[in-house]
Amino acid sequence: MMWAQRLLRRGRMERELEKELGYHVERRTTELVAAGVSPQEAARRARLEFGGADAIKEACRDARGTRWAGDFLQDCRYGLRVLRRSPAFTTVAILSLALGIGAATAIFSLMDRVMFRMMPVREPERLVQITRFHPPYGPAHMSYPLLQAFRKSLTSVEGLLARHDMGVRDISINGNVETASFDLVTGSYYPLLGVRAAVGRTFGEEVDRAPGGNPVAVISHRYWERRFASDPAVIGRTFRRFNTVFTVIGVTPREFFGTVVGEDPDITVPITMDAQVRGGPSWLNEPNYGWLEVIGRLRPGLGMTRARAEAAKVFAGIVAEDAVSAGSDRDRRARLSEYVELQPGGNGFDDLRRRFSEPLIILMGTVALVLLLACANLANLLLAKSAGRRREIAVRLALGAGRGRVARQLLAEGLLLALAGGVLGVFLAYGFDQALVGMMSNGGPRMMLDVAPDGRVLVFAAAVSLAACVLFSLAPASQAMRQSFQPALAEIRAGRWRLGKGIVVAQMAISVLLLIGAGLFGRTLINMYGLDPGFDRHGVVLFSTNAGRLGYSREQVQRLEAELPAELEDMAGIQSATVSMFPPISGGGWDGSFLVEGQLSAEGKDDAVHVNSVGMDFFKTFGTPVVLGREFDRRDTENSRRVAIVNQSFARHYFPDRPAVGRWVAFPGPERDTHYEIVGVAKDVKYESLRGSFPRTVYMMAAQVPPGPDSYMFSVRSGAGMAWAIAAIERALARQDSALRPVSVISLEDHVAQSLLRERMLATLAGFFGAQALVLAAVGIYGVMAFQVARRRREIGIRIALGADAGSVIGMVLGQTARLTLVGGATGALAGLVLARGAQDILYGIRPNDPPTYAGAFAGLLLIALAAAYFPGRSAARTNPVTTLRED
Amino acid sequence: MSKPKTDLPQGTLDMLILRVVALEPIHGYGISQRLRQISKDALQVQQGSLYPALHRLENRGWLAAEWKTSETGREAKYYSLTKTGAKQLALEDGNWQRLSEAVRLVMKAAR
Repeated sequence: MMWAQRLLRRGRMERELEKELGYHVERRTTELVAAGVSPQEAARRARLEFGGADAIKEACRDARGTRWAGDFLQDCRYGLRVLRRSPAFTTVAILSLALGIGAATAIFSLMDRVMFRMMPVREPERLVQITRFHPPYGPAHMSYPLLQAFRKSLTSVEGLLARHDMGVRDISINGNVETASFDLVTGSYYPLLGVRAAVGRTFGEEVDRAPGGNPVAVISHRYWERRFASDPAVIGRTFRRFNTVFTVIGVTPREFFGTVVGEDPDITVPITMDAQVRGGPSWLNEPNYGWLEVIGRLRPGLGMTRARAEAAKVFAGIVAEDAVSAGSDRDRRARLSEYVELQPGGNGFDDLRRRFSEPLIILMGTVALVLLLACANLANLLLAKSAGRRREIAVRLALGAGRGRVARQLLAEGLLLALAGGVLGVFLAYGFDQALVGMMSNGGPRMMLDVAPDGRVLVFAAAVSLAACVLFSLAPASQAMRQSFQPALAEIRAGRWRLGKGIVVAQMAISVLLLIGAGLFGRTLINMYGLDPGFDRHGVVLFSTNAGRLGYSREQVQRLEAELPAELEDMAGIQSATVSMFPPISGGGWDGSFLVEGQLSAEGKDDAVHVNSVGMDFFKTFGTPVVLGREFDRRDTENSRRVAIVNQSFARHYFPDRPAVGRWVAFPGPERDTHYEIVGVAKDVKYESLRGSFPRTVYMMAAQVPPGPDSYMFSVRSGAGMAWAIAAIERALARQDSALRPVSVISLEDHVAQSLLRERMLATLAGFFGAQALVLAAVGIYGVMAFQVARRRREIGIRIALGADAGSVIGMVLGQTARLTLVGGATGALAGLVLARGAQDILYGIRPNDPPTYAGAFAGLLLIALAAAYFPGRSAARTNPVTTLRED
Repeated sequence: MSKPKTDLPQGTLDMLILRVVALEPIHGYGISQRLRQISKDALQVQQGSLYPALHRLENRGWLAAEWKTSETGREAKYYSLTKTGAKQLALEDGNWQRLSEAVRLVMKAAR
């Protein structure tokens, strides 16, 4: 505190010091005069005796301990002047730093939100997510009876909570229909998380005891702000969902976003109200229906390992009991192969984390490289600039400035640049994050991810700026430390050149690495667009309808599904229309198993088959050829012979040496005697994702299978464009019912593109950073070569005087550039070989060491480097030998 | 000027200053005069050491300073001993007594 005060009162301290020392000299003079010396002589002698007043003052300042800080302020002021004097350099430096720091901060901020940050709940580190795994399908949700069984016997947790994401649903408030997103949660949800209502109250375990009897709702803070303008009187207001009137009883705190990062459901209601919210039968007593995600709170002091062991044991017991009543051996074995897995649950359910961890880590690596590149670039520019400041530094050294002080001066300049870059970077990061969140929302509703920079992000940005500052100021500062004020110039120049060259090589290496990344991800995206998924994605529009919202009964929906495609096909510009349970690339599907004619009940074999239930003209609409037999047509009705179409993979697998057409398949279980005759073999189509393999598939006729989910997708093929198709769809729907509207309308092309989110994101950003790397590399090469040419002016002059022509001088500069690029490029490529292997899972149709990509990256960089070096080369070639030789 | 001067052993200047200031509040010039007088001109403290030492001691909180009108009617910076300064003086005094006695004994015995 005193230190700071003294620093602030620096002016006054200086004046007092002056006065104190002055008093001394004055008294000594008086004394001498009294002893008979003439006043002038006395003053001279007094000053002489006193010694160098400035040195004493300096020593006093040192003694006060404020010197370092005082010097620092002075350094900063001086640095500002220096930076103002070269605005072009300063602008380039700050912008490249801001881009680097901004990108790093943006990615960090997202990583923090998505991967690291704990939920704002009580002791989040004690929360564990409990997931059921169901080989070979992977993670599966839990049923309510399973949750109850866990509750009864799991002693390592204080309690369990479960939630079910209902997504966006219609509600009516005061008779007006609107939409809101719903979460269903157990009564233990709020008490276990330790979340208290900001307004009103939350509900507790009492709601679990009376299924259907607690029509209460807790709403999110953001929904409260958005829909109810933060009106405290919202408590007690009601909304209707189907026939049930729910009462709002509370609002969650502002910082609470639910248990999934990026979702933030508007309305949370007790899970025991599931039937009322869904408008169908309750799932609470369905032992085979997995719909719950579960989090538990470990007892204090209990480790994850113990909890894991106990959960595994308890689950094995439950499964064993279930397996006894299984229908077949195979079912029993399937049940027994299930297991549970515990993961830390403190940052919520891991949907976003699972989807984006890997891309975010890759992006973080990429932006770290970009930042490193910006630092290298800046170091080089500063180095070249300090060549111009050699005189100034020599003068300051000669005037007695300490070497350390000169180096500190350069560091202060660096700090100013880093500060400006960092502040600008934080703003850029915010904008960048907004864009990224938009991208990650992928055409759907915008993810609820708050990306405003907070304390953690600011600390990160400051740390990165500081690290960057040290990195790029180190080279010039260390040069200054070494510089002597007796100009042993040749030696110094050689040293600086070596350092500069080293930095350029590093820059080239990083640039090649970034370009390779851009190339690999770009090629992956192109490969995924280019592969044949078994259907023709052009000219197809997918949509569903608002029939569900209008309260259509199942019979009405089925009639619509049967009639609408035919109606559409009658319209001009529509080539065909169909309905199907799943369109291709829908991210999931209905996997079942079949009895196949001539096959033994395939015990233990991998015989999962993808099932799709489709309408007429399905294959025509999606452009999937039926290679053998026929497509479904008017002959196939509810009452005709049961038929099925299989794909080539299915046919190859089950009928490797016989024709598949004419054989039968059947569902196992009570309907095992209902045979579906195979009437056709269709080309393979990808269902889950473009990346996946072609699943063995059985197509059933929609009219002939037991009703599946009520959300069939309609598809229309039209050569007349999207707008025309939508207009036709609206007209066809209106003919059925004037209130019917198409919803979720999307072209098949966009639908496929959305499934490539990760690939698009990586390719776009890697491309962006690759381009940035090229620009930075060009600036770096230009700067270093310009400096190099300036250094060798005399030598070049002599060469020209001796008869070298312009071509050979330019060739010399370009040759040097090419050598540096070669060394840097080779280093970068080697690093690429190692790093790209880590991203292998994300690549598609390309090996991580793909030679053309590497060659392309290298050639691109070489081209840019040579172009950048051409300008200093040309100016070297224009050197006038006469003037250069006359210099010095 | 030609009189032989004795260099102060490292660290003793601080002690001497504290000793002098302990008598009464005094300004820098006064301290240098007083040191000269008491040591019968044997100790001549350079201003280059005296003033930094004063500022150092003030910075450590052993001396307090205030501006007062001096005997010549001008404003001067008067230093006085603080409580911690007094403690420090006692400590250094004791150390010094033990050290000088020990040195004296060794020098006498080895003669």
